[in-house]
Amino acid sequence: MIEQLTLQQRKLAYLIGIVLLMLPVILFGMPATGEEGSGGKLARLRQDYDLGESTLGKVDPTSATMNLVLLGMRGVAVNLLRMQLDEERDQKQWAQMRATTESVILLQPHYIQVWRYLGWNLAYNVSAEWDAVEDRYFWVKEGTKFLMQGSERNNRDPEVYWDTGNTLGKKIGRSDEWKHFRKFFKVDPDKERYKEGPDSEINPTGNDNYLVAKEWFEKANKADELRAQHIMMDVLFRSYPARSQLDYADALHREGQFDEIARKAWDGAYHDWVEVFGQMRFQTGDCEIFLEAPASETAMEQLLSASGVTRPKLERELDLYQNVCNYRYWRTKAHSEKNANTAAVHRDLYQGEQLFKVNELEAAQELLESGLRGYKVLLDSYQDLTVDDAAIEEGLWAIMIWQKIYQLRNQVQPPEEEIPLRSLWDKEINRVPALQEDFNRKYGPT
Amino acid sequence: MENQPVIQIKNLTKIYRDFWGRKKVRALNSLSLDVKKGEVFGLLGPNGSGKTTTMKLLLGLLFPTEGEITILGKPASDVSKNEWIGYLPEESYLYRFLNAEETLDFYGRLFDMSPQQRKERSDQLIELVGLQNARKRQLKEYSKGMTRRIGLAQALINNPDLILLDEPTSGLDPLGSRDMKDLIVKLKNEGKTVVMCSHLLADVQDVCDRIAILYAGELKELGRVEDLLKEQNETELLTSKLSPAAIADVEAALAKHSAKLIRHGHPTNSLEDLFLKTVQKSQERPGQRYVPTASEKS
Amino acid sequence: MTFDRDPFVLLTGLRDWLLVFGGFVGIIFAATILVALGIYGTSGPVAVMGRVWQGLHDFTHLSPRRIWAISRLTILEAWRRKALWVFAVFAFLMMFAGWFLDSELRADMQLKNAVSFALTTVLWLTIPVLLLLSCWGIPEDIRVRSLHTVVTKPVRRNEIVMGRILGFSTVSAMIVAIMGVVGYVWVLRQVPEDDHPRLSRWNRMCLAVGLLPNATIEPDLEKGLPEIDVTAKKFCRMPVYGTLEFVDREGTIASKGLNTGDIWEFRSYIEGGTKSAARYKFAVNEPVDQVKLESRFEAFRTHKGRIGQSLLVRYVLVNPKKSLRVPLPSFEIKEFSFNEQFIKREVSYYDEDLKDTRTVDLFKDLVYFDDNEKIKHDVLQVEVQCLDSGQYLGMSRPDFFIRLPDRSFLVGYFKAVLGIWLLTVFIVSIGVTASTFVKGPVATLLTFSVLLVGQGFREFMIKLITGEQKGGGPVESWYRLVTHMNDTLALPDTVSVQIMQGIDKVLLSGLWLTQHLIPDLSSFLMSPYVANGFDVPWGVALFRSLAMTIGYLIPCLLVGYYSLTLRELEAK
Repeated sequence: MIEQLTLQQRKLAYLIGIVLLMLPVILFGMPATGEEGSGGKLARLRQDYDLGESTLGKVDPTSATMNLVLLGMRGVAVNLLRMQLDEERDQKQWAQMRATTESVILLQPHYIQVWRYLGWNLAYNVSAEWDAVEDRYFWVKEGTKFLMQGSERNNRDPEVYWDTGNTLGKKIGRSDEWKHFRKFFKVDPDKERYKEGPDSEINPTGNDNYLVAKEWFEKANKADELRAQHIMMDVLFRSYPARSQLDYADALHREGQFDEIARKAWDGAYHDWVEVFGQMRFQTGDCEIFLEAPASETAMEQLLSASGVTRPKLERELDLYQNVCNYRYWRTKAHSEKNANTAAVHRDLYQGEQLFKVNELEAAQELLESGLRGYKVLLDSYQDLTVDDAAIEEGLWAIMIWQKIYQLRNQVQPPEEEIPLRSLWDKEINRVPALQEDFNRKYGPT
Repeated sequence: MENQPVIQIKNLTKIYRDFWGRKKVRALNSLSLDVKKGEVFGLLGPNGSGKTTTMKLLLGLLFPTEGEITILGKPASDVSKNEWIGYLPEESYLYRFLNAEETLDFYGRLFDMSPQQRKERSDQLIELVGLQNARKRQLKEYSKGMTRRIGLAQALINNPDLILLDEPTSGLDPLGSRDMKDLIVKLKNEGKTVVMCSHLLADVQDVCDRIAILYAGELKELGRVEDLLKEQNETELLTSKLSPAAIADVEAALAKHSAKLIRHGHPTNSLEDLFLKTVQKSQERPGQRYVPTASEKS
Repeated sequence: MTFDRDPFVLLTGLRDWLLVFGGFVGIIFAATILVALGIYGTSGPVAVMGRVWQGLHDFTHLSPRRIWAISRLTILEAWRRKALWVFAVFAFLMMFAGWFLDSELRADMQLKNAVSFALTTVLWLTIPVLLLLSCWGIPEDIRVRSLHTVVTKPVRRNEIVMGRILGFSTVSAMIVAIMGVVGYVWVLRQVPEDDHPRLSRWNRMCLAVGLLPNATIEPDLEKGLPEIDVTAKKFCRMPVYGTLEFVDREGTIASKGLNTGDIWEFRSYIEGGTKSAARYKFAVNEPVDQVKLESRFEAFRTHKGRIGQSLLVRYVLVNPKKSLRVPLPSFEIKEFSFNEQFIKREVSYYDEDLKDTRTVDLFKDLVYFDDNEKIKHDVLQVEVQCLDSGQYLGMSRPDFFIRLPDRSFLVGYFKAVLGIWLLTVFIVSIGVTASTFVKGPVATLLTFSVLLVGQGFREFMIKLITGEQKGGGPVESWYRLVTHMNDTLALPDTVSVQIMQGIDKVLLSGLWLTQHLIPDLSSFLMSPYVANGFDVPWGVALFRSLAMTIGYLIPCLLVGYYSLTLRELEAK
């Protein structure tokens, strides 16, 4: 039968056979397009059981191909690349190192620790090797972008989201160069490229770095609901969006901004801390709690009846959790700062120092004295602040400036009893020598 | 010089060794023979008898384990002797990606011939071997017979004095075979010396002046073809057709000389008989070797 | 990659080569004579001398026509065997390479990538083809016995080797030339010249790797340096490197500065705000109107300092003979990029002693004859100082140079192409030679190993030999591996350890020999020069490569000749 077919017919028959055999392969193996229920049977099964690459995050075809081509040699290849990375770091070949980082990640796109380490490496280690602040900022951005890419590729893991937020918040807002970095975040130093605006890749809306960080922390929390993070206590991890808002408000004060925007920032911070974070439910060993519970008796009752533990036990747990994240302090701080009067106090103290710097001594003294008076009221109404380092030092620092002005104007040491906010001074007198040293370094000896 | 043999082989022994230097095969054992100028000399023997080994030793492709070779008055290892030698290998070992013209041009260059010489000579040779129609075709497209022809042409490119032909007619059809043999005779007539080896007896018988029969690396017979084919103990009479009465008379006459008529009929003894006989004898009594006498050598 | 290597000196090179080559020839000759004497008695040495004589004869009676015949055959073979299909691969790569080269990068980085890509492609497409061709040519000839027909003609064996090498080299010349030209056009098209230089932070960032800045604006000395602008202008800079010595904080001269804890000891640091300085002396020949200085220093801070401001650096031109010190205006350094300074013939400066501005002539007053044994030349001495106290400035010799007028990109590019060709000639020589005594696969492996060792494992080998690599020789490291012994732990002083280390010593001396026999092939690779905007220096790179190629070609010819002559081509 077969022998009777012509060559052409036979070829055709083979072709049909091939197509027929391919059909089930296509039906079963068709890759998913991303839509729900798309793709072949295998793709759907993979999706259902969370097995496919596509469920881990965005798939990079190059990466997939590389891993396929390397077969089982991926580990070896990564080792070689990591050695190369070290060599390039030692020899300060930063651009090559950036490229090698990219290659490593091509091979290990789903190793969270690799993303975290390499992102840190760029944002912190490489950045510090450069001398110019603009250069340093560039590498912070590189690290951030890298982490953002990592979270995109692993969108179920909360860790990389958190790292992105942490770099945006802490590295930009808290490093030595924070004043420059925070400005650069809104107006990139590469003015030509970004048209006097922010690098839209990391800051599309031109927002404050802490607020952008907050968005990332929120993403991290969302991911954390589906797959638990493994880097710190839950209560700390979940506090980060609110903390970021607090940092934002605090940074505005650090920069001398005491206007309505700053007050609103504190307002928002209080809301985030108390209304959002404070209401989050956490599972302790024995019971479910939320940190704002002690403020309301009914809430406490509910918690007690739901968990069945004794009241002292519940209180102990709450106390522990609150201490872990310094809950009460931040609550008080935010509460005090959202008050317009508090802002006025801070403004007076800040502006007093600024005037002192430009030798407007009389005006400075006036502002400082009014500020210190306000500060006393503030401390009296918020007892929690009296144990806070920053709050104490702000007061002591203002007193030292005041003393200095007094000296400069009267050429004598001011008498102890005339010191405004004397109660704080007396109470914290053993902090004074160290602080005085800093002060002298900055403004010359008293 | 004129009378000096073109090739002198003295006690030539070749032992192939294996990788470790251990003796593996004794391919040639104390071979001595001379080839005179202007003769066609045939090396005869079954496969593996040492014909090709001898040929390659002559050309310097192999180095003798013992013994000496002088070829055109020079040692075999001397490359300059090749100026006057033409060699047709067993299977034409040529570059298959060249065409006929390029092949001849290439070998012409190896003889340091000028472009014009090369052109003339290759045209001449292509015509001689009858490849006019295939001169532009690459050798890989050639049939076996055509490859032999181009092989022969390259062997003659330098108009050599001594031509070594390894199985010249192998792969040729009867017509081609005939042409080849005619050519050998023609070369001989031009005064060239030809050494050929073959296991095809008809070729050798037709064209060779002298032959050497090799078996298992040893020389078994050496001499002029007609001498070798002559049975020493028999006398062959060739007469016109005899009647039975005449034959009886002859028998009577022979009886008078205490000889007898063994058989009558057409003479049938041939090289083939000789060859088979030699081979058979060697197998029965191995180790017996033909040592040419001084007179036979020259 | 540093672009500053010691130039190749022909005489010393030749002397070393003669020493090694002569040594080897002598040893082999003596050994052969002795062995021959031992085996064959007195006739042995006579035969050896005969061979030597024949070799001399064969090498002095070469026929160019025969060599060329073999070469022609080789070229035809490569052509007809479709070896040149490699062009198709090349064309394919070049067509689509643009897709993968990042066009987001700034122009000069694109240029760097494009140049590197083009030259690397040419290199790595040509090498395998030539490697295989050259290693399989002769063995294949022997296998199909086409070599029989050739050697039964009056061809000398050295003519075969030479013809083969010449043929393959010609093939590679054709391949490299065509690919080089196509690559050049491709580079030009890929990175069009940009008439509007962009000054941007991003530009500066990527300068970390090397760069092609092109100062089109005349800098004003009063204001310091202009921003570097980076364009796709293609050129090759011609650096003149000087000598470097350091002055420490007490003012005494040292060969090295401080180490700030860097693993990489390439750069050495000077302390800011002290007498510490780096002294560069540049050999100067003829007076010119203007000298362009280019530097790339590195900053190391021990304290925050002035955030937002780079370290301040100052050049001081010094003539110790006239006790003249001319400070130039200070400038902020740009790290990992080039700082450019122009010095005009007439230099004005504020003299601290005279309390007045003085003007001196760069050549008459500042250039002096340096008596230092190693220099003995008219020099311009430039002292580099860091002005920020407590901060450090790092530099190495090639970090600071006088930049002569630039060469054209075309010349530099084709010098690099020539380098690639020379490398292929080297590989062909080794490959053809290897193929005269081993079969194709073995020859390929052998040549490939030479290539690999010469290019990749050199540094590692040197570390092993010098003992810089911890863990001892092969036996010791095995011992340590098996026993899980840390490489910082000392081995006990026992007999077995001594034996072990003795064996290691022998093995390592074998490695020493290998390392000295296999050349440093990196000098053939000149594309980094061009890609980073430097001219390919004749003495350092090209001449060295050429000498190296010839230096290896000669022994290769000898080895090839004798192994083909002494070998029974029939035997397999």
